[in-house]
Amino acid sequence: MSARLLALFLAASGSLWGAGREFDQIVKAIESHYGVRRAHIPLMGVANLVTKAARPAGTSGFKLAIFEDLNRRQDDDAPAEMDEFMVRLGAGGAARGLTPLVQAHSRPDGVATYIFTGEIGHSTRVLIATFERYQATVIEVQVPMNVLLQLLQSPGHAAQMFGVGNERDER
Amino acid sequence: MKIAAVFILAWAPLGAQEIKLPARLEKLAAKAEESVNITLDGTTLRLAARFLSDKDSEEARVKKAISGLESVSVHSYQFARDGEYDPADVNGLRAQLASPAWSRILGVKSTASQEDMDVYFKIDGKGQLAGVVIISAEPRGLIIVTIAGTLDLEQLADLGGQFHIPEMDLAGLGKGRKDVK
Repeated sequence: MSARLLALFLAASGSLWGAGREFDQIVKAIESHYGVRRAHIPLMGVANLVTKAARPAGTSGFKLAIFEDLNRRQDDDAPAEMDEFMVRLGAGGAARGLTPLVQAHSRPDGVATYIFTGEIGHSTRVLIATFERYQATVIEVQVPMNVLLQLLQSPGHAAQMFGVGNERDER
Repeated sequence: MKIAAVFILAWAPLGAQEIKLPARLEKLAAKAEESVNITLDGTTLRLAARFLSDKDSEEARVKKAISGLESVSVHSYQFARDGEYDPADVNGLRAQLASPAWSRILGVKSTASQEDMDVYFKIDGKGQLAGVVIISAEPRGLIIVTIAGTLDLEQLADLGGQFHIPEMDLAGLGKGRKDVK
């Protein structure tokens, strides 16, 4: 299945997109596209408390979804394919308050990172989707302005800023 | 790591000529080892400026620099080896800058780093700075930035180092300055 089909799925689900449910919609889209389910994180509440210490000060409303065993094909995840999918995603979101901000690709690591924002304010809702060859993470979090600037400076390490995705696939 | 950069800073009011990124440049992400594209639209910039702190020196610097901008777009590509992008890829961009509306006001060629940086300004009918394009290239990289809005040279210099925009030595232009991080 190509990223185009994923984009079509997202376009079809546009009525739900942007209604404050962007995180859930992305999770569903990834599950549908890759035929996987988000990983169950035991004791997520406890994990949240533990990882909270690793997050930048002032962040809140943290949501995380992790997908394993994606088995992404290299040709399926060419930057142009992924960008097309995410641009469509962003276009749907932008109409309802989400703005695509960053696309970052690292070919050696096979990592693609996309950052979207809600309306900028003292605290800004940020959605970070990171795709590795065998794993993906989706993060939604409210961040203060200084953290937003940090994300712009190092978008390729956006997930790591929140204590997620520090390890790389070794498969 | 060598980085070749193409920066397009175009702050163009409505109706002004827009700079378009050539399609062949947009395809470079597939060849690049690392690529980053950042897009900040006018709404985002205005809101960001509104909520950036005046008390934090870094935020205050960014706030001042972006306060008059309509958009910022940065395309940055780094390649594993020399020659993985064709300098001719940039020609389509340079062709747009050959129009009378644009003037190349700064060109730097570094033999040591093999870095070329060109800065183009667009002046509107009122004599105000209405657009800037910066093209900086090294053998293993390419970055493209587009900005729309108004700012002065000092603000342009302050944008260096932000949003993956390279730091620029504009001291030779008389008004700007280089901030070394």
